[in-house]
Amino acid sequence: MIEQLVEVVNRAGIHTRPAAMIVKLAAKFKSDIYLVRDGFSINAKSIIGVMTLAAEQGAKIFVKIDGQDEQSAADELTQLFASGFGE
Amino acid sequence: MRALENIQILRQEKIPVESILQSPAGLVCLNDSIGLNNEIISKSLYRPQLALAGFIELFSNHSVQIFGNTEIFYLKSLTSEERIVAFCNLLNFKIPCIILTNNHILEPELLELASKNGIAVLSTPHDTTKTIYIMTEYLDDQFAPQAVVHGSFVDVYGVGILFMGRSGIGKSEVALDLVERGHRLVADDVVMLTKKKESILMGTGTNLVQHFMEIRGLGIIDVRQMFGVRSIRFQKRLEIIVELQEFNPDVDYTRIGQEDEPSNIMDVQISTVKLPIFPGKNITVIAEVVAVHYLLRTYGYNSALKFSERLQSEINRKSKSDSPFQFKRAVPYIQPDDE
Repeated sequence: MIEQLVEVVNRAGIHTRPAAMIVKLAAKFKSDIYLVRDGFSINAKSIIGVMTLAAEQGAKIFVKIDGQDEQSAADELTQLFASGFGE
Repeated sequence: MRALENIQILRQEKIPVESILQSPAGLVCLNDSIGLNNEIISKSLYRPQLALAGFIELFSNHSVQIFGNTEIFYLKSLTSEERIVAFCNLLNFKIPCIILTNNHILEPELLELASKNGIAVLSTPHDTTKTIYIMTEYLDDQFAPQAVVHGSFVDVYGVGILFMGRSGIGKSEVALDLVERGHRLVADDVVMLTKKKESILMGTGTNLVQHFMEIRGLGIIDVRQMFGVRSIRFQKRLEIIVELQEFNPDVDYTRIGQEDEPSNIMDVQISTVKLPIFPGKNITVIAEVVAVHYLLRTYGYNSALKFSERLQSEINRKSKSDSPFQFKRAVPYIQPDDE
């Protein structure tokens, strides 16, 4: 189980396109991936779920990953958040 | 059950006094919005009768204080100095607010004392019993534990069924199929559960995604626009969990259904059905049967039990007579029938 904090850096926040990128990435892995904000935990493989976060720039999101490929999932997700979803 | 072990329970720890002005009790502030930012940390209410009389042990000062007829007339019966002493018994503690029922008003000097101590004084037109009833219900709701679960929540024949399972297994598709058959969608993907009283879980969608749903390969659809307002509802009590799983020959699926293995969510036991899925299996129809089965059981009919009783009586009868495979030859119809 890996738990870490990531920050939304791009100005527009997690709108539709970044949400789709997160879900696409998460779905590649076998691990269970959860994004936690304000105590609400959301499955990162569900696009509606990720959009529910309505995360704005600067929002801090707690990522919980559990499964056999958790390390690579954690690495790639952190990278995706840090890159600002290519924006 | 993985998905349920993982849920995170959220509890409101405090609410500002300001928020109870929104309650159906019709509260108005009597001392110029003083103390509206005080925090209420307890959902219980307190009648401070004995505290006014000077017995301050066990005084639950964190609760909302209700002044009904007893308190008001007790204070009125005192001389003005005694009254201030009695009232100060309360003010020595940090209390969030005082609610006066029956449109009572506080003596001006007491109101001033309350304001000086930063305590909100609110008034309601309702009598004490009704006020307590309304406020208990309101505070219960405000402090109710909540959790978000990943699943699809549908009202099937009035039974709230939550479909769970790993992503991509087809929860949304089952929900859509049920909507198409005239059942009502409560929420898809993100279901917010709120515990009510001790044994009720109410499920609803979040404001943002209510009645939107994602269908793989198609994208996001708006169920309310597509199927109309008849196909949705805002909240529903959770009654059954249907867990969709890939068929696994090693798992023992229930075959008779006499025993019930409930899931535990926020200390509420919810009946759970584990459904293995494989090609050719119509989950939608099974979901409808699950709902009707639940209704029958609620009304006191248990199919499995009934069948088992029949079997038992057949065994008892058989022990007395002939071969087990002797069928009835002629069925006595009400009317002669050669069909």
